Amino acid sequence: MMSEQLPLSGVRVADFTWVWAGPFCTLQLAHLGAEVIRIESESRLCVTRRIPPVADGEAGPNRCGYFNQYNQGKHSICLNLKKPEGLEVAKKLVAASDIVAENFAAGVMDRMGLGYETLKAIKPDIIMIALSGYGATGPESPYVSYGPAQVPMSGLASMTGFPDSPPMSVGFSYGDPNGGLHGAFAVLAALMHRARTGEGQYIDMSQWETSVALVGEGIMAQEMNGAAPQRMGNRDPHMAPHGLFRCEGEDRWVSIAVADDAEWQRLCALMEKPDLASDTRFVTLADRKDNEDVLEAAVTDWTATRSAEEVTRMLQAAGLAAFPAVTNKELAEDEHLRSRPFFAELEHPEVGVRQHAGIPWHFSDTPCQVRRPAPCFGRDTEDVLQRVLGYATDEVATLKDNGVLT
Amino acid sequence: MSEHPSSMPDPQAPGPLHGIRVIECGHMVAAAYAGKLMADLGAEVIKVEELSGDFARQRGPYPGNTPHPEKSGLFLYLNTNKRGVTLNLETTKGRELFQRLVKDADVVVHNYHPTQIASLGLEYETLAQQNPKLVMTSISPFGQTGPHRDYTAHDLTMWTAGGIVFLGGLGGRPDLPPLKAAGQQAGFQAGVNAGIASLGALYARLGTGRGQHIDISVQECLVAIMENNYIAWPYDQTTPSRLGFRLIPQDVLPCRDGYIYVLAVEEHQWQNAVELMGNPEWANTELFQDFVARSVNWDALKALLEDWLRDKSVQEVYHGAQKRRVPFAPVSTMGDLLKSDHLNARGFFAEIGHPEAGTLRYPGAPFKFAASPWTLRSPAPCLGQHNEEVYCGQLGLAPEELQALQETKVI
Repeated sequence: MMSEQLPLSGVRVADFTWVWAGPFCTLQLAHLGAEVIRIESESRLCVTRRIPPVADGEAGPNRCGYFNQYNQGKHSICLNLKKPEGLEVAKKLVAASDIVAENFAAGVMDRMGLGYETLKAIKPDIIMIALSGYGATGPESPYVSYGPAQVPMSGLASMTGFPDSPPMSVGFSYGDPNGGLHGAFAVLAALMHRARTGEGQYIDMSQWETSVALVGEGIMAQEMNGAAPQRMGNRDPHMAPHGLFRCEGEDRWVSIAVADDAEWQRLCALMEKPDLASDTRFVTLADRKDNEDVLEAAVTDWTATRSAEEVTRMLQAAGLAAFPAVTNKELAEDEHLRSRPFFAELEHPEVGVRQHAGIPWHFSDTPCQVRRPAPCFGRDTEDVLQRVLGYATDEVATLKDNGVLT
Repeated sequence: MSEHPSSMPDPQAPGPLHGIRVIECGHMVAAAYAGKLMADLGAEVIKVEELSGDFARQRGPYPGNTPHPEKSGLFLYLNTNKRGVTLNLETTKGRELFQRLVKDADVVVHNYHPTQIASLGLEYETLAQQNPKLVMTSISPFGQTGPHRDYTAHDLTMWTAGGIVFLGGLGGRPDLPPLKAAGQQAGFQAGVNAGIASLGALYARLGTGRGQHIDISVQECLVAIMENNYIAWPYDQTTPSRLGFRLIPQDVLPCRDGYIYVLAVEEHQWQNAVELMGNPEWANTELFQDFVARSVNWDALKALLEDWLRDKSVQEVYHGAQKRRVPFAPVSTMGDLLKSDHLNARGFFAEIGHPEAGTLRYPGAPFKFAASPWTLRSPAPCLGQHNEEVYCGQLGLAPEELQALQETKVI
């Protein structure tokens, strides 16, 4: 029997965020059971409602995988914040909320008349988080920031890449979900503070700074020695072999990470290569690091005629770390992930049942579960205005007629 | 003038997690980062290490590249604001002491592998008998259940198993493997997820009065963050990879003194970038007329941009672009970050002394709380530094008992 109680049952979030970092922050809160109400508008339709992938190639604001993945469990209301009546509705929503989240560039909420001091006057213990690219203060705070830029800005790119390549991206907009997760952690800490003291507060979160948090060892290296770690592809200073090795099939690879000399001996035994086991170029970690090109070629000789799955099974059975470089299709079909269960599959009115990524934390007492699919655009406008904000049916109709709910 | 009050918190005010007691154990990044996130916001975190110490102590970077277990940059960074004790959980006495520690704790967070939990006495049921209000967060590569539960993994393994590695690497170079991100990114992602789940369970406890066990799979943490790349399969059966076509022109390009990240998503951004370049004639040709054309003809465009950038400085292009609302960004080195006017104006780096490693600047608050600030109060603990303080001061052991524990290699 599932408990009805969820960790954030009774917590309401007025969600002014859009694109990715902000919505990923509020997704965590929705996963934990908060009632997250997204304020949307036709005049600034979220970019994730406009870009691929779209269900079965048919476009439409409710058919985008990006939006539907990262807005599971939330509510959506349509509100034109450029109209004074729209602003009034937004303020009423804040008065009925515990948390306000936004990820506009610094200063935008203030200019809209929804700055922290204004909202605090409406709801004294409100917790407000601003997830901007640069933070709310500092000379570059008005600058424009997109999530993908956080990888280069944080210095992660400068340490990522092959030794002879320029700094490289990591293949996706890493700064966004990372910022969203740190933001959710901060909001939860502020809720704990409020529970203890009764006090709300403003949280200024910079995506740039949350990204630098991921390269702490690089900062420490620079501080200690005046130099950061070099780009080294998939290699590791403390393990060898450590990389992706070509397998049978088109663009198939397996990762192998050998932690110490004993593991290397086990790998040689598995590969049935006694000559490698006794080869003086590979006995110690230092030897293997000195001869890493030859070492990797020797391992590739063995992996290249086998499937990534077979290599993984063999190595894991011997307690060695290996896994195929899986595609999204393999993830979607993965029996292990399905058995957990990890995927969230709820009926959505426009795209039907799709296998969304679910919640990576499994709670024993108050199990978190995606409770509703991502909202169609404006699905909950009337419900929220009436149920949460106490508007009468005719008042909602008037707002609608006046173009406030668009 | 902006209304935010973030520049004026009282540095003496207690952090938002003041009064929360956390026990952290395991190795490397995931549990330690969860512990750090909580410790830096005021929680009292005791880090329980094996007698030989957290593996992070063996990784560096080290001053002068000379290995020393108290001077690992990774360890120092991940363990600020914690007290540290040693404890051998493989002994009966060690497990007994652990239970006594846990009795008064609010949270245990660890990343011991599922195959080690029984032998280390880390079963939630056992610990909860002593303390039903305990929140215990167990981080493991593939979770505590399922056919891959017992698989072993390092950070690279998880970046691979999470599907992310397949996206990284050099487009147009099928001869080269997919590429992982630098550092210990799977560990950091699992750590922040563990922090969220732990606080979520603490908040739940305010209502239920009960603790609970949380099972966190690193693989799932990664599948959850891969932008629109996972969901592309269920929605339109496409598989993004490093070799695939990317619509938005974006790249890292060389300048005179470093690299700049160029990105112009919106048409007005591109037009402003053209203006910044002095309206070159080529920009008005059909080849680059819209973002689709610019994506398709990226190789040609890239060569033209490289030409323009060759004699410019990174900062000149960055600020010039941003003044025109074009979201270019510097490709920072670690040295650039430490010198950044912006980060320093925000007081991002925090300096603290350590008895062995000396005074260093650390990455600071990733978020600024107006009422209950992030603080750097103490450096990472030396191995077993707080054994006496915790075992005698907190658990009430007599000095001779402490000595006996040392002699029998329990601590």
